[in-house]
Formats: sequence, C-alpha cells, structure tokens
Amino acid sequence: MLTRESLRADIAAIIHADPGEIGGEDDLIDLGLDSLRAMNLLVRWSGSGLRLDFGEFAERLTLDAWWAIVDRQQQQQAG
Amino acid sequence: MSGQLAMPPLHAPQPLTEAQSGLWYAQALDPANPIFNTGHYLDLRGPLDAGAFRAAVNGMVAEADALALRIEAGRHGPLQSVEEARRPWLEVVDLAGEADPEAAALVAMTRDMETPVDPARQRLAREVLFRLGPRRHIWYQRAHHLALDAFATDLTLRRVAELYAARCGQGQPGRTLPSFSLALAEDAAYRGGTRRAADAAFWRDAFADGPESVGMVPGTAVSARRAHRCAVALPESVGKALARLGPPWPDVLAALAGAYARRHTGGEEAVVGVALMGRLGSPAARVPCTLMNVVPVRLQPDEQLPLAEMLRATTQPLAEARRHGRYRGEQLRRDLGRVAAGRRLFGPLVNLLPFGGLPAFRGLDVTQHVLGTGPVDDITFTFRATPSGAGLRLEVEANPDLYSGAAARAHALRLAQFIAAALEAPCLAAVPTATPAEADWLLHGLNATSHPVPDTTIWALIAARMRETPHATALAFGEAAMTYAELEARSAALAGVLRAQGAGPGRIVAVALERSFALMVGLVAVLRTGAAYLPLDPGHPPERIARILADARPVVLLAKAALAGGTPVLPPAGWPRQGAAPAGGPADDRADGPADGPPDGPSPDDTAYVLYTSGSTGAPKGVVVAHRAILNRLEWMRRHYGFTPADRILQKTPITFDVSVWELFLPLIAGATLVLAPPGAHRDPVALAAILRRQRITTAHFVPSMLAAFLAEPATRGLRLARVFCSGEALTPELRDRFHATCTAELHNLYGPTEAAVDVSFWPAAADDASRPVPIGFPVWNTQLYVLDEALRPVPPGVTGHLFIGGVQLAREYLGRPDLTARAFLQSPFRPGERIYRTGDHAQVREDGAILFLGRSDQQVKIRGLRIELGEIEAALAGSRMVRQARVIAREDRAGDRRLVAYVVPGDGFDATALRAHVAARVPDYMVPAAFVALAALPVNSSGKLDRAALPAPGHAASHSRPAETEAERRMASLFAEMLGLERVGAEDDFFALGGHSLLAVELMLRVREAWGWDPGLGALFEHPTAARLAALMEDRGEADHGLGPLVRLCQGDAALPPLFLVHPAGGISWCYGRLARALAPRRAVHGLQAPALQEGATLPDSLEALAADYVDRILAVAPHDTVHLGGWSVGGIIAQAMAVRLRALGRRVGVVAMLDSYPTDVWRAEAEPDAHAPLRALLAIGGFDPDRLPEPVPLEPQAVADFLRRSDSPLGRLPPQVLSGVARVVRGNNRLVRAHRHARYGGEILHFRAALDHAGRGLHPDLWKPYAAAVKVADIPALHAAMTGAAAVARIAPVLSAHLLARDTEGQE
Repeated sequence: MLTRESLRADIAAIIHADPGEIGGEDDLIDLGLDSLRAMNLLVRWSGSGLRLDFGEFAERLTLDAWWAIVDRQQQQQAG
Repeated sequence: MSGQLAMPPLHAPQPLTEAQSGLWYAQALDPANPIFNTGHYLDLRGPLDAGAFRAAVNGMVAEADALALRIEAGRHGPLQSVEEARRPWLEVVDLAGEADPEAAALVAMTRDMETPVDPARQRLAREVLFRLGPRRHIWYQRAHHLALDAFATDLTLRRVAELYAARCGQGQPGRTLPSFSLALAEDAAYRGGTRRAADAAFWRDAFADGPESVGMVPGTAVSARRAHRCAVALPESVGKALARLGPPWPDVLAALAGAYARRHTGGEEAVVGVALMGRLGSPAARVPCTLMNVVPVRLQPDEQLPLAEMLRATTQPLAEARRHGRYRGEQLRRDLGRVAAGRRLFGPLVNLLPFGGLPAFRGLDVTQHVLGTGPVDDITFTFRATPSGAGLRLEVEANPDLYSGAAARAHALRLAQFIAAALEAPCLAAVPTATPAEADWLLHGLNATSHPVPDTTIWALIAARMRETPHATALAFGEAAMTYAELEARSAALAGVLRAQGAGPGRIVAVALERSFALMVGLVAVLRTGAAYLPLDPGHPPERIARILADARPVVLLAKAALAGGTPVLPPAGWPRQGAAPAGGPADDRADGPADGPPDGPSPDDTAYVLYTSGSTGAPKGVVVAHRAILNRLEWMRRHYGFTPADRILQKTPITFDVSVWELFLPLIAGATLVLAPPGAHRDPVALAAILRRQRITTAHFVPSMLAAFLAEPATRGLRLARVFCSGEALTPELRDRFHATCTAELHNLYGPTEAAVDVSFWPAAADDASRPVPIGFPVWNTQLYVLDEALRPVPPGVTGHLFIGGVQLAREYLGRPDLTARAFLQSPFRPGERIYRTGDHAQVREDGAILFLGRSDQQVKIRGLRIELGEIEAALAGSRMVRQARVIAREDRAGDRRLVAYVVPGDGFDATALRAHVAARVPDYMVPAAFVALAALPVNSSGKLDRAALPAPGHAASHSRPAETEAERRMASLFAEMLGLERVGAEDDFFALGGHSLLAVELMLRVREAWGWDPGLGALFEHPTAARLAALMEDRGEADHGLGPLVRLCQGDAALPPLFLVHPAGGISWCYGRLARALAPRRAVHGLQAPALQEGATLPDSLEALAADYVDRILAVAPHDTVHLGGWSVGGIIAQAMAVRLRALGRRVGVVAMLDSYPTDVWRAEAEPDAHAPLRALLAIGGFDPDRLPEPVPLEPQAVADFLRRSDSPLGRLPPQVLSGVARVVRGNNRLVRAHRHARYGGEILHFRAALDHAGRGLHPDLWKPYAAAVKVADIPALHAAMTGAAAVARIAPVLSAHLLARDTEGQE
C-alpha cells in the first residue's frame, strides 16, 4: 500500500532531496523532476498492479495532486 | 490551472499553436507530400463486440476535437477551427468477401497513407474498422501530424480501450479527454509568459559557441515523400542491463545513440535531436493534439570512462534540455541563424517512447503495426518500450534521399549491437562500431585475394624471356632498338664487373642514369647479380645524395660522373660490351648465362630495390622491397590486364619514383617492348603526344596533375592506346570524364604507397563509370586493405577511417631505421604472424566494398569545427568550363584566420565572381573558397605532384590594378581590403570580382558611411564598385541612391559591346539580376530598368504600351549603340516584348529579347485577382527567396516580412519602409496594366528560358508567344520559376545568353 509519505520519500530519493523539502503544493519541476524521472516513479508505483496514467500525472506535478490520483486508484482497486 | 487560462472557442477561427505552425508551413510548401500523415493499425483477433467498439471509437472521436480541425491560410497566417462535418466517425468496411481480406485492407490503408491531405479542404483524420472475418478485424487510425503526435495517438488508443471495456461491462469509463481549446490556451499562455524568454536565453547560451551540427552522411536534411522504416528488437539482456543502471533507460539510450552518431561523424561532440513529449506539467497533458518538440542536445560522452560514470556527465545536458524543452526547436533554429538550406540544428533524431505496451482489449489478441510517424528529415532512432524498459524495440526511419534502404537497415542492426555491447563493456572505447558480421566481411570477405604467384624473382622471369624470344625487341629509344639477346649479353658483361666490385645478394648498387639503353642494361645487370638497385636523381641537392649514399652504402654507383659521397663510380663509357671469360672464376659465373640452365642471382626474399622517399617531415627514408613483393605486383598486372609481347610500354617516370618500377620491368617479364622517352619528355605534353603516336605506345602512366595538363593540349585529341594508368594522386571524376572525351583508351586508377611495392589497389575508371569520387577500388592479389579506427578495428561502410595495408607486397623495412619501421609496420591483428602497414591516408569503404581514398590529413581541414574534404571543392571547380585545373588548400596567412583558397588554371571565359557563384551553387557556403587565384599553371614538384609551398598567398595575386593615389582612394581601398580579407586592393579593382557579395557590401557601406559622414545608399556600390570611383563619389557629395532609381547599372563591361537592359519583375526592383549580369562572358554593360512608381509621387502610365515607351526613352538616352538587347523575368519579359515592338517601330535594332519564364498577358487575364500577399511575395522574391519555399514560416504581413529579410541578412532588410509601400504600389499598378494589355506581334525572335520544373498542369508553355513573335527559341532550365535568378539557374542561363548576345551583337535582326 502506498501512502502520501512513501510517495514523498520516493520523489525525494529520485531528485536527491530531503523529504522535508517537498511540500504538498510545491512544483516538482522546480525541484528538479523531469519526465523520465516521473516515468520512473510511475513505474515503481504501478508495481502492485495499480493502473496509473502518465497523462494524468503530467497535468499537475505536485505531491498532493499525485497522491490524489494514487489514493483514488488504490481505493478503486480495493473496492 | 485551466481555470486561469482563457479558453478560446473552437468553432471560430483560432491561430495555430507554435507546434502546429512549423508543420503547417512545411505541408503548405509541399502540398503533394503525404509524409505528414501519421497512421497505424491494430490487428484485433478474437470476438469483437462491433457495436461496443463503434461506440467506443466514436466516444473518443467526440472528445478529440483536433481530429476535426480545418486549417487554412488567413490574411495574417493560418487559422484553425473545429468543423463538426469533419469529425472522423468510425467507418466500417466489410472485406470478409474478398479473396484476401488482409491484403485488401493493407492496400486500402497504404493508399490512404500515401494520399496527401490539404488541411484546408480535406479532413485531417480517419478511423476505419476493416472486418476481415468474424474473428478478425483491423482498426486503422490515420491523422495528419497537425492533429496528433505519437503520445496523442496513444492517448486516443487508450481512451478507446477504456470506453470499450466500460461498454463491455468492465470497469469505469474514466476521465474524458480534455478539449483542444485547453491546448490553445496553454500555448497562448506560454507565448505570452516570462518562461519563454528564460528558455530562449538558456538555448542561446547553450549553443553560443557550438560547432555546426552535421549528420552522419552529407546532404540536406529535408524530408522526402516517404521514409525507409525498419525495426529490430533489442535482446532481453539489454533490458536487464538498463534496469541495473542508475539513470532512466531513455537517458542511457540517448547518450549511447549520441556516441554512436559521433562514431560516424568523427567530430568531438554529437548533437542529437531529442524528441520531447512536451506534456510534463502541462494542463494540456491529456489533450489529443500535437505538442511534440525536438530540441538539440550537445553530447560529449567520454569513451574512456566506465559507463556509469560516463552517463553521469551526459545526463546533465539531457536534463537541462528537458527543463527548457517547451521552447520550440524550430524557433531555436531561427534564433541561431541556421535557417539556410544545408544547415541544421542536430544530427540524428532520438525518440524515446516509454509508453509502448498496448492497452488490453477484452478477449482480443492485439498487435500494433506502425505505418507512418510523420516527416523524416535525416534519420530517426526510436526506442519503444513499456515504462519499465521491457520489450525494447529500436525503429529506424531514414530519408531515402540520404540513405539507401540497405544503409537504414544496417544502422538498425549496428546501433542495436552497439548498445548491447556498450552495456556489457568496461567502457565505450572497447566497443567496435561495426557489427561482427560487418567486421568479418570487411576484414576477410573483401580481402579474399589469395592467388598463386610463382616463387621466383624478376630476374628469373626476365631471363626466361631472354631465352624464349632472344630476337624480340626489348628496348626502343628514339630510332634505336635493342633485342632481348643484346640486352642479355650486355647485362651479363656488366654483371661480371659488378660482381667483381662486390655486388651480390644483400648488397646495393646505386644507379643515377638518365633514360637510355645504358640505364636498362645497368638495372638488369644489377638484378642478375642478386644485388638491389638504388635509384638516384643527379639533379637532387648534393647533400641529400650524400646522405643517402652514406646511409645505404652501395658497393658501386652506375652514373656518368661521380656524385657527392665518395661511392666508386662505373660510368657507362667504361662498361664491357660482352662477357669476359671468367679467369677460373666460380661456377656461378658460367651458370649465369642463359644457355647454362637456371641462372643464379637473387632469391625471392632478396631485395630488388631500395627507394628513398621524402617524408613529410625529416630525412628521406630508404624503402626496402624484396623480389617476392614486387613480383606479386608485376605478375598481377601482367595477368589482370592481359599484357602480351605485342605491347609497347612507355617509360617516362623518373626512376626515383616507384611507378617507374613497373614501367621498367613489366615489359621485360611480359616479353614486350619497353619504349624509353627521351630525357625531359615527361614534362612536355606535345612531345609526349607525339611519342605516343609515333611509337605506337599501348600503355602509359600519368600522375593525375600531369594527365590534366596533358589533356589540355589540343595535340592529345583523338589519341588511341590500349591502357592508361593513373596513380600518385587522386583521380577526379571530372578528369576521368575529360579523359574519355579526349582519348580512346581504358583508364585505370591505381593506388599504393612506396612501402607496398608500388600499387595495392585498382579501379577501372571506365567511360561509363559514374562514381563520385573515383574509388581506389579493390585489393590486388595476395593483398589486404583495411579501413580501421583508432583502435585498429574495421569501420563500417560510409565511415572514415585510417587505411592499412597487409599482404605479400609490404616492404621489409626502412633501411637502417628500425624505429620508423616499427612505427609504420605493425603486427597484423587479423592474420597472425603477418604485418600491416599504416599508410597515413584516410579512406572509406563504399557499400559495394570499393575503397575510397579521402586524402592525407592535410587534405582534410576543419573550419569552424566542420570537416571539409578539399577534394569536394576541387570537384566542384573542375566541373566548370571556366576551369582547366584547380586545387584548393587551406591557408592560415593571418594567425587564427584559416581560409580556403582556390588556385585555378583558367579555361574559357574565366571570371572569379562567376566561378565563385558556380562553386557556391554546388557546395555548402562554408566550403566556398574565400579567394580564387588564377595561375598560368599549377606548380608541381619533381614527382609531378602539386607543390604547395609554391602557391602564392591570395593577397598578392588578386589585385591587378594601379595602387590608390589620393587620400580618399587610399582610405577606400583599405576598407575594401579589410572587408575582403586581402592584403592590398588596387584602386580600379571591382569589389564584387574580388569576392565581395551582398552581405559584405552592406557592411562595407556602413563603414563608408561612418568614415565619410553621409550615406550614399547601397546602390552607390553597385554603380561605383571600385575604390577609385566610390571614393570620388563620396568626396563629391551627391544624392543618396538607395538603388531605386529608374535605371540602375548592374554590371560594367566591354564598352564596345551593345548593352543589355533587363526589365524588373513584379516588385519593380531589378537587383535580382546582379548575379546574371556578372555571370555573362564576355562582360558587357548591363542595366536594370526599375519601376518609376517605386518613388513616391510618381504617376503610373495608363497602359503597358505607355510604360514600355517610357522605358524605351530611358534606354535610348544611355545607349549610343545601334543595337540594344532586352530581357526580363516574369512580368519583365512581357514589358520587354512590348519594348522590342516599340524599338522596331522607331527603326532601332533589337538584338536578343530574352525572357526568364514569362508568359503572355492572355494567361494572366484568366487568373484570379492577386491578394494582399502578392507585393510581399514579390519582395521576398527580390530578396532572393522563393516565397513558396521559405526556410522558415513567415507570416505574410509587412513587418514580419521585413523582419525576416533583415534576419536573413538580405540587403533589402536594411531599406527604409517606404520601399515596401513602393513595391506594393508597383505590384498593384503592374497587375492592372498587364491585364489590360494585348500584345502586338514582334517581328523578331524571343529567347525563352523556361523554368522546366514548374507550372505542372497549368498549361504554361513558351509556344503561347508564337502569335506575338516571329520565332520562339526555348532553353529549358531545370529550376522553379522563383529560382530563375538564383545561382544554380544563372549558372545555366548565362552561357546560353552570352552566346546569343554575341551572335546578335553585330547581326541585329532583320
């Protein structure tokens, strides 16, 4: 199960930042994320069979936006 | 986000996004090109719920607005709107009844893909479901690239899958695809925002000091109408290795693709184009539309580092590029000024698609087949995989104008192998470029030249001939002849004396004799003792000779007189004529005679000759060649070319040059006749031609420089021989062609260094050989040729490498120089126990295996980081009739300023400016020489090769006229010199003849303005192109002349010849004729007539006749001659015809009436009214651009056009704005006059230059003039209408026009 914090940790790791530096509304591109790394994260998070759409992720690059998508998909998958 | 953006309504016309703009202009420039259609199909096997499927597709179509776009040209640029009638609802086509339903579907799809789409008149997209059977369907999607890019196509695909699943009761339909207006809004926001400026600045900085980008093959990167496509799957191991590395696999592949490209271009960096989806962080990320952008990335992968470390450095430029990747690549290209054809922003395009993996369609087995992905300018490497990297595929698309299908496939295999190897290797440097299969072919397949050769010596074969045909003529010299028997006797006698002096196997005898019987007797005598001969040129500097003799320590010297160095000399006068009886000598003396069984003497491994070559640096080195080596070469030649005793071979090459070896000995081993040319004759073409004829020579050799000079002599015309061999220098295609046009003989190109027994490769340069360049060809017997990289690995075809030679012909060593020997002769990595020789030459293997010689390193220069083969420029020069011979070198006369200088032996009608234009029409502008120096002859050294040191620096040769006298002249001349990069400019030298062009002209005039304090206008330089005249003008302050006056002089020339008056085309300005005016030979005065309406306040005449009459008045005021010539392009031709009629009516003589693709007014009356664009198009045309083929999209409105002209450095860009209104005035006025005009019949001939590439299907033909002229003569020019005053067309028009002008100068017409 993915959590908001585990997402934050994964993002931090891939852009070599401290998780504490990543706020919910921060623009991840400004923090150094690019599409390839975003893709990488998607892949990792899709590992448990979660259906995640790159287009959706691409629209808004914030932790909060991404968590919203992942949370919704996890609930759908469970329910 | 989207709440903050203004969402434009889609059913009203909207401007295009930046991404769409480039595509729209590209399609508009080439409406018949279907390459912009993207398409694919899914093969669906299994039970398809057709109703659900149709609903799903149509559901997607309802959301994807871009599929329904209509895009057409508006007043200020293209506009788009969504047209409901164009929505591509699913079409269902039942092919189940066809004999082969799948084939039928493929035919239909292919036909659809190959049909070009007009975005104004036709719908951009189609969705078709082909039913092949109850359990097989093909779903075809096609969309113009203006509507969708690859990611968007994937979006639509996924959406359909989602909707289908929902319809079948499997899950929720998910979010709708957002409206296209969101994409428009986002695009407008970026264009108006601050980020764009920041991005622009980033890119400018990143490329400020960048080298020119080059592709892997030469040529212009503009998409053709189709593309080669092929694909390979990368092995599983690659996917696994990529997963193990830190950086994401697309970064890794981009870096490796960059390294691969660099292996082929040979530069220090590779600039690859990286395709970006353009969607990250964009509110429009899920809009089906085209957002894809290609940005250039400079990569300098360090091949010595382990992969992981290397990638750390390459990841950074990739990341930065992505961060600023919203900025359009097309805009960047404009910013950097790389818009001219032939210049590019990047080499190969790398496309990384991590969204492969088809969505599932329930119950169906689905495979996808790509049909087209859009334009392919050069070569694209697409890597497709699922985001995790599984199932990696490489797809290669290549422009068929640049790559053959085989070459494209080879790249696919080679890149795949390169990547797989790179991921396993300790570092990139360990990875070869060629695949193992290619390497095997290159090393062994091409070099399977094994052939039996007798295990013997030259002397033994000669002795055999002496026995077989003692009375045959061995030698001829002038009128005298010598038989084999006499040669035997005299050489035997001399050999006895030589042996007494110590000559024998392992010893050397020096020979310094002129061509004569004595020379041959001497050489044969030396060989029969078993010693080696060392040829010397007594004309060489004494210290050089002394050094050689000290080095080689020959036992004796055969020469007329002693030379420096103290070797005992045996002059021919003292040689015995017949053998003395041996005084109890060794048995071998008797056995030496041919009557006594096998002769003694050398064995195959003994040295045959030692030849000293001058190194490019340092002391001469003695190359030691054994009998075995040279015998291979001679026997191959004898058998390969079929030499017989009937042959008569000319010996003319000095014996110090190794070509002489086969001239001297091939005849003797073939039992043929050796004809010795008199001393010095080899330099005199007339004498040579006489000898070739008188002596009935069958075979001769020429170094190409000498062959060119030889062919230039009229005495050589019609010469017939059996064979001519060329070696020693590159044989150009032009020389080959000129040879076959002049003589009748086989022509053979041979190549080889002295270190490999004369020649190692051959190529039949036959009359029907069209190779460019002429290859050095294939290896001779028992010889291998290798083109290797720095690590001694074979390079693939098309890549430049170092040429190495292997095989039996290699010299043993450099005499007494084990150090040089070890450096040049290496252990063969390919054939154990053997050696290879490093030639120091660059070469390439052609696709068919023939080797191309690319010159020594000094034939290859770098200017601004661009690699230039001087041979290419030389070839361009050689193709002009103005050039008899030409060489190009790079000179650095001023430190840090490297320039190309062409040295030309002039031919017919030589003119430096015209020649410059000729070259500029054939090579990229960075390869056009900065100076053209005419010489009476190209200086050659004693071997007949070009003597570079003797070539004069351009400054001195260029200027012919008197030095500046007055202060003003001195100032002006020094400005000229500075602009032209010359040391000195004479007061009467023409600026344009010295190499000035329009860009320099503008710069010059700026400086002139500064220096004198007033602006005479650009036109002043055209009128007064010499320092003296311009200085005089500046001093005598007059009216500013912007070059818009009614009569402008385009060119001065021979005042005795009748002048040519050229009438302006549509815009009223005649500057476009400058090039043509200067290209005429002989030069004559050429004037341009310009529309009076250009000046404000002028009134337009009422009719075309009145205009013509006005023009006639103007020309009569300046034309004292009886005869005048007229001409004009487009509407200028129409006016010229009317002027001709008027002149005749006045009783004046009209010579030539030339038209550049003009057609009578009848044609124009039928046409629609021109729109507001016409004057701007006319202005672009005057500026030298084809308005239909601009290098970048230019909105047709005055400011944009003016900006474009200014950016393109067109002199028009600097004109004041009233010019634009003047042109508009003229265009409207002329249009009115033309429509109202009815031609009268002109009683003379019209010379019509037809733009043969244009007007397809429009019924425009020069015959339309027949009712209005006594005769119409047509010359087809392979050009478009708009290019008729451009360099390429002028190069063809000028000679024809010049000839007609000359013919009509005195005749006039009756």
